[in-house]
Amino acid sequence: MSWLRKRMGAADQTQVGAVDPVLAATIIALVGFGIVMVYSASAIEATVRYHDPEHFLKRQFMFGIAGLGVMGAVSYIDYHRLRRLTYPVLGSVTVLMILTVIGMGVRRGGAARWLTVGPILIQPAEMAKLALVVWLAYSLAKKADKVRSFTVGFIPHVLMAGGLILLCLKQPDFGSAVVIAFLTFALLFVAGARMAYLFGGLIAVIAIGVQLVMSQGYRMARLTAYLDIAKHRQGSAYQPFQSVMSFGSGEITGLGLGKGLQVLYLPEAHNDFIAAIIGEELGFIGVLGLASVFLLIVARGVRAAFRASDDFGSYLAFGISSMLGIQALVNMAVAMAILPTKGLTLPFISYGGSSLLVNAAAAGVLLNISRPRTQRQEVEPARTVPEDAEASEILMVSAQEGAG
Amino acid sequence: MKNLSPRRASGIRLRMAVLCGLMGIGLGVVVSAAYGIQVERGQEWRELAEKQRQRRLHISPRRGTIFDRNGATLADSVEVPSVSVDAFEMFRNVSDQQFPQFLDNASQRLAKALSLDPDQVRDKLARRRRFASLKRRVTVAEVEAIRKLERGEDGGPRLVGLMVEGEGHRYFPNRELAGPMLGFVAPDGEGKDGIELTLNEQLRGHVEEVRGLRDRAGRLIFSEGIKNEKTLAGYNVHLTIDKGIQFAAERELEAAAHTFEAKSGSVVVVNPQTGEILAMASYPSCNPNDIAQSSLESRRNRAITDQFEPGSTMKVFTMAAALAHKVITPTQPMYCEEGAMAIDNVLVRDTHPSAWLTPTQVLALSSNIGASKLGLGLGDRNLYEALQRFGFGKQTGVPLPGETPGVLRPRDRPWVQVETAAASFGQGISVTTLQMAMATAAIANRGRLLRPILVKRITDGSGAVVEETPTEVLRNAVSANVARVVSEMMVAVTEGEGTGTEAAVPGFRTAGKTATAQKTDPATGKYSADLYTASFVGFVPADNPRIVVAVVLDEPMISHAGGAVAAPVFRRVCQASLRVLGVVEEQGPPVAQMEDVVDLAEENYAIMLPKPPIPALNPVVSTSGSDQGAKTVVDVTGLPATSALQTLMKQGFIPQMVGSGKVVRQHPAAGAVVPPGTVVQLYLEPPT
Repeated sequence: MSWLRKRMGAADQTQVGAVDPVLAATIIALVGFGIVMVYSASAIEATVRYHDPEHFLKRQFMFGIAGLGVMGAVSYIDYHRLRRLTYPVLGSVTVLMILTVIGMGVRRGGAARWLTVGPILIQPAEMAKLALVVWLAYSLAKKADKVRSFTVGFIPHVLMAGGLILLCLKQPDFGSAVVIAFLTFALLFVAGARMAYLFGGLIAVIAIGVQLVMSQGYRMARLTAYLDIAKHRQGSAYQPFQSVMSFGSGEITGLGLGKGLQVLYLPEAHNDFIAAIIGEELGFIGVLGLASVFLLIVARGVRAAFRASDDFGSYLAFGISSMLGIQALVNMAVAMAILPTKGLTLPFISYGGSSLLVNAAAAGVLLNISRPRTQRQEVEPARTVPEDAEASEILMVSAQEGAG
Repeated sequence: MKNLSPRRASGIRLRMAVLCGLMGIGLGVVVSAAYGIQVERGQEWRELAEKQRQRRLHISPRRGTIFDRNGATLADSVEVPSVSVDAFEMFRNVSDQQFPQFLDNASQRLAKALSLDPDQVRDKLARRRRFASLKRRVTVAEVEAIRKLERGEDGGPRLVGLMVEGEGHRYFPNRELAGPMLGFVAPDGEGKDGIELTLNEQLRGHVEEVRGLRDRAGRLIFSEGIKNEKTLAGYNVHLTIDKGIQFAAERELEAAAHTFEAKSGSVVVVNPQTGEILAMASYPSCNPNDIAQSSLESRRNRAITDQFEPGSTMKVFTMAAALAHKVITPTQPMYCEEGAMAIDNVLVRDTHPSAWLTPTQVLALSSNIGASKLGLGLGDRNLYEALQRFGFGKQTGVPLPGETPGVLRPRDRPWVQVETAAASFGQGISVTTLQMAMATAAIANRGRLLRPILVKRITDGSGAVVEETPTEVLRNAVSANVARVVSEMMVAVTEGEGTGTEAAVPGFRTAGKTATAQKTDPATGKYSADLYTASFVGFVPADNPRIVVAVVLDEPMISHAGGAVAAPVFRRVCQASLRVLGVVEEQGPPVAQMEDVVDLAEENYAIMLPKPPIPALNPVVSTSGSDQGAKTVVDVTGLPATSALQTLMKQGFIPQMVGSGKVVRQHPAAGAVVPPGTVVQLYLEPPT
């Protein structure tokens, strides 16, 4: 362990502490809980499709182990090193998104959101969210006070995010597009962009959004279905109606783990609608527990953002926290038919490797930011050179310039 | 954020807090929505979800099999595949522009695969419902064609949403055998008659346990808990019926019904030691495989649904009661009034007029007068109770629908004297064939009345016994001694000059009793001159009874005497049954000697009221005074029936009455001089 600490401390002359134990424990528990819920929600579907009730369980278990491994490993990588990775990652994700859109994508249920890499399917949009958050945090921190300007602070970020949103819409993946838009606005707002620009942008986005919904038949259908669920329960509102029915069936204490029967009527029960199964099997108490756990994750993430040693870490921690939080919120809202159907996963719980690995990596970054950073000098005063603070400042600036 | 000015850092923190607050509001909305859905309206949603699962389940578990006592199948369920479609699923990913073309393509291909009309298929698909049945009872080749459509192997695009699943279809391999008793099963899988109805719950299985095991496509899926499909199947029912005996009983019943042109009939075969019903035949019969073609008449299980006035077979039980109450001893002769005895306003007659008869002869010759005297000697209360003890007037409790209790007392009032007499020889009361068989089984079984058993045991899919019916003694109808004596008397019926010699089973001592009962004409409400119920009930071997057989033929037209119509059926059914049961022939029986009886004609009796004057007793009314002993008819008008009868009979006339109440008119009129024995007709009217 000491060699690692040395390596981490090598970048700047600071002593790095342990990760936030509450955050780490909560996420590990949530991943474990997700594996159980995926099994409960998928056993029947797996039996029918693969004649193996544990088909999805086995895969999710492997993803869970891999995800926790990734999280652990990333939590040891000093997040400042990510600055060098910002553009390569953003670039390759954008390429993957373009590949998906131009016809290399694998179609499922009318949307091409996946790419085949060997035996597995990956979902570039999941990566795009994290890549965008990292890039925004980096760019906003670098631009510092220039964020308030239109040309330097506002336009580049909106253009980049807009490009990714367009690629999402092309797949189509309306849910990811909305999350990307939300994260862009949230981070611009936090970094101190002018409210006038933000409001202008928001109005433009809403106008474009309305136009898009009206132009695409299936989106309009989903929207009208969402407005009158009971009427369209056999048709376009089938999923939300079944989902709410599933939710409601749980009442206060739920039917019990593995005893949910709505699994039979909810397509993708182990995936986008896993919250409905949680609601059915664990009841209102379970949903309350789930909401509290996500609240805890976001709270600890924001705590890390508040305590981060610099603005890059702070933006990054806040971006990741709100990325996890907003996805959980939207996913649960969709399961209760408060929002129209979107293809968003419930972080750490829904079945799927891309989502789980990306979110685990994000959690790893968050954990690294949560490590308390103190001046090395205080621990080992004999070895360190006196001009410590300035040196680290200079190093950081040079690293920023190198990456930029 | 040590690299920033504290002012900027706190600005960032403030804005983060604002966004956190926004997300907090979002969380509040989500949690309160969850509260509304789960806590406030949870029950509604749960009921709706349950209804959905229930509604989508249209196939119940495999219906249990019905076996006979030896394991031969009487009713079975076979899975016949049927094809249905989830049209919503089928067109889920089809855009509106492509839809008409896709619909045409799909309906053409489906119609071709299943040999259906393309337009009808098109209509069903166009509704885009979640469930639509396309064709029931499809062949293996059609299933194969559907599989090809699903894989797109017929050249077109792959079709989704098609479902092939087994649908239970009831099959009765023995066709008409025991048809009315087994009942039938409606296409929805519910038993509608007979055993299929009474044991519907057990045969059908527990539908509610499979409820949750169907998915949105209507496919049956077994979760981990219910891997064994057999536990989902209905229970199997093992009847006490013996297929061989049932077949023989039906064959002989039908043959006799054809020969004698009977309207209907029934045969019951019972094991007197256990109460098990070995056969229950009904004519006319139906084939439950195509119940739609059968008439309602042919679906009736007449052995329990039809009540009839039993006639002389009832004398067996009157005799048993009389012996039990010591009204008579087994050897004490009775005066039988030379064939005619008046009771109140009724003249009871014997077909074999005799002076003195032993109790054995009363049964063997079926004397109505003898039975009447026994009945009157017992009194109406004792006779009524005795018949009740033999199980008459009450349902036997056999697990079959529509069993009638029969009628012992009209409108539940005590019998008047003439009714007591009539009941003692089986008129004016109604019984079922099964009641008659069980009561006779009590005589054969040392006086113990047993509950009839039709369902021997019920087993679950794995063969474990769920329910077993043990032999149950309801009560001791009479003492063992009396039962033995009556059995011996019944042997005399089938021997020598008895009325039931046709029933004697070669090689066995046979006990039995014939009956030829008059029927009430439904048009007039009075006894008809040519409608009869012929029956025979008995058991064999008399000393160690193995089977009791009751045969009833309703309204035989060619002949109507029980000894001629029903007794041969009894004999043949016994022969076949004993062969099936493997009972070996006995030594030749000792023949009872009865010298004082001459006529072997069938017994009969007559109640005077509705019958026309009997020629032998109704000589032409002579007005000539030259006849020796001629008497003057006295005036009885204005008298009540009883006094009029007594007056006329004292003077040697035979009164015949029409109506009830007081005498308003008489013929011959008062003052006419006629020979003694002349019938005087009295017309009565109720007092106003």
